[in-house]
Amino acid sequence: MVSLKRMAAVAAVSLVGLSACAGTDSGSSAVPGAATSGGNDLLAGAPVAAATDILPGSTMEKIKKRGELIVGGSLDAPLLSQQNPVTGEIEGFDADMGKALAKYIIGEPKVKIVNAASETREALLSNGTVDVVLQTYTITPERAEQVAFAGPYYSSGLTIAVKKGATGITKPEDLNGKTVIAGANTPAIPAIKKLAPQAEIVTFGSDPECMQALKQDRGVAYVQDETLLIANAQKDPSIQIIGSPFTSDPYGIGLKHGDEQFKKFVNDWLVKIQGDGLWQKTWKNSLGTVVQGEAPTPPQIGSVPGS
Amino acid sequence: MSAFLDHLPEFWEGLIVTLQLIAASFAGAVVVGFVITAMRVSPVGVLRGIGTAYVETFQNLPLLVLLVLAVFGLPEIGIKASLLVTAVVVIALYEAAYIAEALRSGVNSIAVGQGEAARALGLTFGQSLRHVVLPQALRTVIQPMGNIFIALTMNTALAGAVGVVDLTAAANRVNLMEAQPIPIFVGAGLAYALIAACVGLVTGRLERRLVMVR
Repeated sequence: MVSLKRMAAVAAVSLVGLSACAGTDSGSSAVPGAATSGGNDLLAGAPVAAATDILPGSTMEKIKKRGELIVGGSLDAPLLSQQNPVTGEIEGFDADMGKALAKYIIGEPKVKIVNAASETREALLSNGTVDVVLQTYTITPERAEQVAFAGPYYSSGLTIAVKKGATGITKPEDLNGKTVIAGANTPAIPAIKKLAPQAEIVTFGSDPECMQALKQDRGVAYVQDETLLIANAQKDPSIQIIGSPFTSDPYGIGLKHGDEQFKKFVNDWLVKIQGDGLWQKTWKNSLGTVVQGEAPTPPQIGSVPGS
Repeated sequence: MSAFLDHLPEFWEGLIVTLQLIAASFAGAVVVGFVITAMRVSPVGVLRGIGTAYVETFQNLPLLVLLVLAVFGLPEIGIKASLLVTAVVVIALYEAAYIAEALRSGVNSIAVGQGEAARALGLTFGQSLRHVVLPQALRTVIQPMGNIFIALTMNTALAGAVGVVDLTAAANRVNLMEAQPIPIFVGAGLAYALIAACVGLVTGRLERRLVMVR
């Protein structure tokens, strides 16, 4: 019954969506003709840049001419950027930000998501395969030497998850001497090395694999971004989250290194959507569905070293 | 290049794990490969069937699928080993199928008369395989075995995807901090190329020394 209702809802939203702005789909839809759910209401009110802001010869003009924003992102990050198996649409906070940025530049939320692995993001940006990277891309000074960061557009932090009933871990330092699971190529690895140098780290490629490894006792704890862990804990009651985040990970929008013009353009857009409430609505529509309470205060643009 | 040189200790540890993976899984693959080859050329129909099924199964499944299945699937039925051991066993079983096929082609290249002569001398199947057929067969397949060894070397990189911190995984971790994929992965790539070049050199030497002029 639930799935029937859901399908009806999706269909209804699809009709509204189709009439509102046809062709929002990135072209990767598994169901031909199926449009987005939820995201479209959000994007209907999203701002579009003034023609004078699209400077001649700029990256923005190139994207506008192409008619599509190429985003380096993920398809397997729940609530952030995940492909919906029913509609084929990519949903989540990062995904919606990408669509809103596309609408700001092109006038339509047309994006193509290139599934970027975290080890290739810098290369994809520098060789121009993608225009922007929206993929929980933490701003660090080292990375800022390779890419330009607009933002931060969201601030998150690492948290520890353990199997329900596990004892002896209340803070990151307690991980010393224990086997800890972390996602390959996540900031969790340097963070664990710093706070618990004697911890042994095992890494797996994706979040579901890390979760499986935790449940199969390949490690006593799993260190990951809080938002992901909250989503996991909601789906899977056999794990629990310890305390509140112990790091601060400011996420930035990765741009080609040195493209100051485009960086300013994207930063101006971020300020605009923070001010008009679109940022908050986007959060409510994605992360806000599992995190209690009102949308947090968006981070100050340019407030982190490297941004 | 400094991003690579600053993290030599991490790369070194990764390289050691990679070499362990290569040595252990190649040794295992050779042993299993010999057994499977013996089964495939044996006079017993059931054994031939098992040998064929083994080769077909392992050649037709991607190694990554096997690794993920072994690491995450086996604990579900109560079989759990360390990640390194699991990776070695899976890579060995997988590559054994290729080694068995190479060996079998070597066996097929031996003239039927050799086997018949061995039998005429009163050797059993095992003895004729051990003393007459396989020593000759091995000499004809040194180059293909070398190629399989090189492929195995490259395939060990997949162990990084299931938690083993090998050279590839170490490179990934360093890149996470340094964000300089090009020097880091070029460095790791050179290490792999060096291993492969050594294997090529050894097999080339061996082949020249052992080749049979027919």
